[in-house]
Amino acid sequence: MRPSTIRYFIKEGFSGLKKNLLMTVASMIAVAACISIMMFSYCVVSNLQYMLDQMEDSIGISVFLQGELTSEDIEQMKTEISQIEHVTNVTYVSPADSLEKLKEEWGADEDIFIGLDDSNNPLSHSFQIELDQIESQSAVLSALEQVDGIENVQYGQSLSEMLVSISNVFQVAGVLIMLVLGVISVMIIVNTIRISVVNRRIEINIMKYVGATDWFIRWPFIIEGIIIGLVGALIPTILGLPLYGKTISLFYQYVPFVENFVRFRLTGDVFSFVLPAALCFGVLLGVIGSVTSIRKHLQV
Amino acid sequence: MFSVKMVEIHGMFIFAMGFSLVGTGVLCYNLMVFGAKDILLSNFATKGRYALIRLHDVTKMYPNGSRGVEGLNLHIKKGEFVFIIGSSGSGKSTLIKLLLKELDPTSGEIIINRVKTNELSRRQIPYLRRNLGVVFQDFRLLPNKTVYENVAFAMRVIEAPSRIIRRNVPAVLSLVGLGQKGRSYPSQLSGGEQQRTALARAIVNNPPILICDEPTGNLDPDTAWGIMQLLDDINKRGTTIVMATHARDIVDEMQKRVVTLRQGHIISDIEKGGYDDEA
Repeated sequence: MRPSTIRYFIKEGFSGLKKNLLMTVASMIAVAACISIMMFSYCVVSNLQYMLDQMEDSIGISVFLQGELTSEDIEQMKTEISQIEHVTNVTYVSPADSLEKLKEEWGADEDIFIGLDDSNNPLSHSFQIELDQIESQSAVLSALEQVDGIENVQYGQSLSEMLVSISNVFQVAGVLIMLVLGVISVMIIVNTIRISVVNRRIEINIMKYVGATDWFIRWPFIIEGIIIGLVGALIPTILGLPLYGKTISLFYQYVPFVENFVRFRLTGDVFSFVLPAALCFGVLLGVIGSVTSIRKHLQV
Repeated sequence: MFSVKMVEIHGMFIFAMGFSLVGTGVLCYNLMVFGAKDILLSNFATKGRYALIRLHDVTKMYPNGSRGVEGLNLHIKKGEFVFIIGSSGSGKSTLIKLLLKELDPTSGEIIINRVKTNELSRRQIPYLRRNLGVVFQDFRLLPNKTVYENVAFAMRVIEAPSRIIRRNVPAVLSLVGLGQKGRSYPSQLSGGEQQRTALARAIVNNPPILICDEPTGNLDPDTAWGIMQLLDDINKRGTTIVMATHARDIVDEMQKRVVTLRQGHIISDIEKGGYDDEA
C-alpha cells in the first residue's frame, strides 16, 4: 500500500466521523460504557483472586492432636493425612515449636509465658496442612473427620468461602454484562458507520465502477470504527487509572485492619493488563461494527 | 576472465545509459511536438483489430421471470464505435450492466479483453473494470469534490502514484476542454461541463473500452454535440466506445455501427447506419 493511499484512508476516515459527529460521540460513549464495565469486573475479580491466592499461601488448615503421642504415632498420622486428595504438604509442629512461635508473636516478655517451658507446655502437637487450592478445603475437611486422634481443626472457613462465591458471581455477571453491552456497542457503531456509508453511497458506487477493490473501499470505514473503538477504550482507562488507586487508598484508610491480612493489586499491575486489553477490545468492536455495516453496500 | 567481465559490465552500463538518454529524449520531443494529452492516449492506438468484446449466446433472465436479453451474439473490435439503440425495456440497460459485470448472464459467455467474465471471482472484478471507463446519463459526480478532485479520485482509487495523478489529471482536463475549471465544484458547472468532467474521469486511467449509458440524455442538443465530438476524438485515438442511446439525430449524423435491440433480441446490426435502418 502506498503512503499516499494510507493518508487518503485516514483523511477519509476522519472526515466520515466529522460529518455525523453526534452518532460518533454516541458510539464512543457506548464503547466506553462497555469497556468500563469490563474494567470494573476485571478489577474486582482479579483482586479477589489475588486475595484468595494470598490466603491459600498463608492459611491452610491447622490440625491439633489429642494427648501425648510418640513420634511413631505422629509419623503414621502424617502419612495418613498426606494421602488425602488435594493435600500438597503436611508439616509437623511440636508443642515446643508452637510455644516458640507464640512467644515470637506476643513478645517473649509477656506475663502469660511466665513459668511455661518444655516440661509443662500446655500446647498440643499439631500439623499445618497446605492445599492445592482453596476450593478443595471442604473436601479435605470431611476427609479429616475420618482420621482418628484429632482434637480440633482450625481453618478460615467463612472468609475463604465468601471470597470464592463473590469472585464467581462477579466473573459470571461481568461476562454477561460485557456480552450484552458488547452487542449494544457493536449495534451503535454499525448504525453510525451505516449512516456514513449511506452518505457516501454514490462515492462507493463510483469507486466500484472505476475499479476500486473491496478492501480499498472498506479501509476508510474500518479506520472510522478503529477510531471510535480507541477513543471509547481510552476514556474509561484514563478515568479509571487514578480512580482505582484512590479507591484502594480510601479502603485502606477506612478499614485499617484489612491491610494486615490482605492486600489489593497495585495500580500498575492491573492497568498493564487493562490498558492493552481495553484498546484491543475497543478496536475489535470498531472493526466488527464497520465490516458488518459496509458488507451490504459492496454488492454492485 | 576478470577483465572480460569488467568490459561486459562497462558495456552494459553505457548501453543502459544511452538507452535511457534516448528514451528521455524521445519523450521530451513528443511532449514538445504533440503535447501531453496525445501521449496519454496514443498508447491505445489501434494495432490489429481483434474482437475486444465478445458475447456468445448471452441470455439474462431476472429472478422475477422477466427477460432482460436473450441469445445475444455480438463482436466488437478494438477501436470500434458502436451505438446500442432500442426503446425502453429493449434490453439496452441489461446489456450495459452485463458488460460492466454488474449482472451475470443466466447463460452464455462474455469475453472482454480476452478475459471470460463468467470465470472471474468477486475479487477479480475490480481489475476487469479498470479496462472499462463508464459514463452515465446523470453524470454521478461527487458534489463535495472539485472537478480536479473528481477526476483524481478515479486514479487514487486504483492506487496510482501521486506524481502520475498530478501529471495526468490536468492533461485529461485540458483534453476535454476543462483546463481552466479544475477548481470549480460540479454545482458551479453547466450540464455539458459536468458530463465532460465525468468523461475525463472515465478516461483518465486509459481504459481500452469506454461504455456510455445515454451520455447525452440530460443535455440540450448543442451541448450533446460537443460531447459527441469529444467521444469521436477519444475513439479516433483508439479507445473502443459502446454507447447506449435514444438520440435519433446523433445516431443518424455520426454514421457509426448501430446495433438495435428489441424485446431482448438483436434485430439489426449495421456497419454504418442510422436510427431507423433495419436489416
